[in-house]
Amino acid sequence: MQQHDFDILVVGGGGAGLRASIAAAEHASDLKIGLVSKVYPMRSHTVAAEGGAAAVTLEKDSFQAHIEDTVMGSDWLAEQQVVDYFVRHAHAELVQMEHWGCPWSRKEDGSIQVRRFGGMKVERTWFAADKTGFHMLHTLYQTSLKYSQIERLDEFFVLDLVVIDDAIAGVIAIQIATGELHLIRAKSVILATGGAGRVFRFNTNGGIVTGDGMAMAYRHGVALRDMEFVQYHPTGLPGSGILITEASRGEGGIMINKDGYRYLQDYGLGPETPLGKPENKYMELGPRDKLSQAFWQEQQAGRTGRYGESDVVYLDLRHLGEKYLQERLPFICELAKAYVNVDPAREPIPVRPAVHYTMGGIMTDAQCETSIKGLYAAGECASVGLHGANRLGSNSLTELLVFGRLAGEQAAANAQTQDFASLSTMQEQLNQQQQQLAELSARDTGESWVEIKKELLITMEEGCGIYRTEAGMQKTLNTIRALQQRYKNVQVSDKSKVYNTELFMCLELGFGLDIAEATCLGALERRESRGAHQRLDEGCTSRNDEEFLRHSLVYYQGQEDARLEWQEVDTSILPPAVRAYGDAAKGAKS
Amino acid sequence: MKLDITILRYLPEQAAEPFSQTYSVPYDASTSVLDALTYIKEELDPTLSYRWSCRMAICGSCGMMINGKPILGCNVFLRDYAKTGMLIEPLAHFPVERDLIIDMESFLTHLEAVKPYLINKKAQGVQTFEPHVQTPQQMDKYQQFSNCINCGLCYSACPQFGLNPEFIGPAALTLAHRYNLDSRDQGQAERMPMINSEEGAWSCTFVGYCSEVCPKQVDPAAAVNQSKVTSATDLLLSLLGGRS
Amino acid sequence: MSYRPPLTRTWWLKNNAFKAYMLRELTALPLLFFLLCLAIGLYSLGQGEQHWQHWQTVMHNPLVLLINAVAFAASLFHAWTFFQLFPRVMPIRLGGTTVPAAALVAGQWAGVVSVFALVAWLFWG
Repeated sequence: MQQHDFDILVVGGGGAGLRASIAAAEHASDLKIGLVSKVYPMRSHTVAAEGGAAAVTLEKDSFQAHIEDTVMGSDWLAEQQVVDYFVRHAHAELVQMEHWGCPWSRKEDGSIQVRRFGGMKVERTWFAADKTGFHMLHTLYQTSLKYSQIERLDEFFVLDLVVIDDAIAGVIAIQIATGELHLIRAKSVILATGGAGRVFRFNTNGGIVTGDGMAMAYRHGVALRDMEFVQYHPTGLPGSGILITEASRGEGGIMINKDGYRYLQDYGLGPETPLGKPENKYMELGPRDKLSQAFWQEQQAGRTGRYGESDVVYLDLRHLGEKYLQERLPFICELAKAYVNVDPAREPIPVRPAVHYTMGGIMTDAQCETSIKGLYAAGECASVGLHGANRLGSNSLTELLVFGRLAGEQAAANAQTQDFASLSTMQEQLNQQQQQLAELSARDTGESWVEIKKELLITMEEGCGIYRTEAGMQKTLNTIRALQQRYKNVQVSDKSKVYNTELFMCLELGFGLDIAEATCLGALERRESRGAHQRLDEGCTSRNDEEFLRHSLVYYQGQEDARLEWQEVDTSILPPAVRAYGDAAKGAKS
Repeated sequence: MKLDITILRYLPEQAAEPFSQTYSVPYDASTSVLDALTYIKEELDPTLSYRWSCRMAICGSCGMMINGKPILGCNVFLRDYAKTGMLIEPLAHFPVERDLIIDMESFLTHLEAVKPYLINKKAQGVQTFEPHVQTPQQMDKYQQFSNCINCGLCYSACPQFGLNPEFIGPAALTLAHRYNLDSRDQGQAERMPMINSEEGAWSCTFVGYCSEVCPKQVDPAAAVNQSKVTSATDLLLSLLGGRS
Repeated sequence: MSYRPPLTRTWWLKNNAFKAYMLRELTALPLLFFLLCLAIGLYSLGQGEQHWQHWQTVMHNPLVLLINAVAFAASLFHAWTFFQLFPRVMPIRLGGTTVPAAALVAGQWAGVVSVFALVAWLFWG
């Protein structure tokens, strides 16, 4: 066993974790910061974000407009004061990234270029070609190297938080290369562990997006909030689920069914906009939940095409021309060629919705602190209250900067007033972990984690897909609970210490099962349709503000079934109204 | 369809030497090598270890040698190896930790050594909330070199790195050059000692294979050899006393 | 515990890129021979007619002719590889756009042809 002390420990080396580390380092130069990540930071899934990062930029834009878009996008389930803070700090964070070297795409005069994005009434999305997340992550990683007080523990897998008297004391981690346990003591801990898209079979997420941090906080009594809202991105590649950015549509790409018809006009997003002239909040630039739902309807009506095992619609970019595509969407051209053998300049790309983003997460207050003193969360793993029932594209890259920075500063301020917890109390919990691992390792017969995982992915897709029913969700919840029981007797065949990747995949599955339960319970109890949560059963097909203009909070209950509570939503800026896009929005306003 | 895949395995807790193991993997037109490894791990042999994440050739985790060539496992497909067969080995020129997992530490140390971040007095001093002006033409100079995903394939393609692991190598030199070419950067003088040093750009003999294997068309060989021009100019200027 | 695979002396036989590289570097050997011949020739010229005649005889030896023919081919091959690499090492920008690599390569070959023409004119013109 090895032991480390840090003033601030950041768990997760993606965008939010790196931004938090840098903020903490800049807050006070005498603080020692640890950055633990189960992969090298530049492997984190921020790297795969393509489209861009939103901030009010143009003269014709306003904070109010960005707030309205975000709140309407969230179907009024966003915390409005949090949205207000976000919108006001977004621009400064993107400029800060620019000062750190991020290669934002430019206009001819050398100023920042912004592009259109779904659900946004004004162009406000900064981008670096179609590799925005990649450039942001590498810029942050490289910038973090300037700060000698940031010490990285790369390829360390965090097993558990250590919490003493409702305050954070540190974490227990395994060094993946050696299998050795490390007890890491810290005055503040920031969770920046990303989403949990991998509990679904068909998703755009990397293999590491398994919800570890969410589950760890949850098991220590922190609520998971709004977990039922799972974003399906309308354009994933069939088979792999690889993401085709919304920027493809922002640049003018259109969605067609197997008959070549622009079907979105039939789902409250019309009228049809002329080819090559995309209009904000119309047709292809509607929000993601609406587009994914339209796919499902087309599929039911038998108007989807087929690619391999998948029903698909088509993203047509041909009219944009090869030169423009190479300039604005080079990565999309590369991905389409490699994974579906399509040249977007010549053929439409087959696409289908894929799970993309976990809107819910670890409940925090507006300062990113959880209900455990000194424990913070930022980025996709957190529910600070920005996204509500549906996230708008390009809000999350900005989120990880704005709230990564805030969490870093708050954690630093907290660390300056706290002392380290006593090691002996921490040691007890370490011994427990050690014993559990030893038991797992000693088990020679038992359940296969591969089988449990396969069943989990299928049941989540069946019960918690784009459209949900009471019976389907109840069945899925029962299945998850049965799988949790089977998991107690799970077995790992690899008994080695060095890079035992099987062990970590098995542990990730354990986290995933708890996340799945929270997701499904939230979905089952929310007897209405709102944003990304759409139900088909009677009485639940429309939004019901009277009963459900509330956040769901799911609490872990150990061996018992999880418990759900409701929490009021802050609607202090924009009172709830009809959520409408396309021409329907005009009618709704008047 | 099935393909026999031979993997060079190394289990340090069991044997001091690597050994080969062959697996028979079913595939269709869309099965990538990474998919095949996942299949092996989940269905045939859970002890096989490798790094992976994004499966879309952007995170840089899954570099490996396939039939002797450094390649990202997620970016090649079994269908293209039906005739040749397939031998997978860990990335060349790095110490192997286990199976296909190599020790990345030297790579990261080299990256850090070149100060790969924007050095700019304005950015460090008073915070202005205006972005710099940078025209597309100015961006064009460095943009290609900013696309490196740190996968390490170029190091496996570089015999100079194989012969001398102290050579800071293609990716790190490319990153240094990327910042030197950035119109917003003023840090070239701080980076030149490393580039000029024996382990810097001059260790490169322009084999050029690094650029051939680069999955992102970054062309590290061009960056390194452009650095030689910068380095020569820098040395000449300092000889002439043209620089303080 | 890590294992470092040995790099054998025959590493460069492992793939075609390395073989092409070694071939390019090998062109130095026949070129060295040619330079030696040239240096001795110049020296002989200074030593008087007899030395010069002797050098000329040696130069007509079929083996020497063959090696020099190889050296000529090698220099063309080396020039070809060099010209290919040049646009990547010294990209030239005019008015904000990069001059296409093909144009730079063609320009270099045009230079070679004009040198040949100049030499031909000097000796046979």
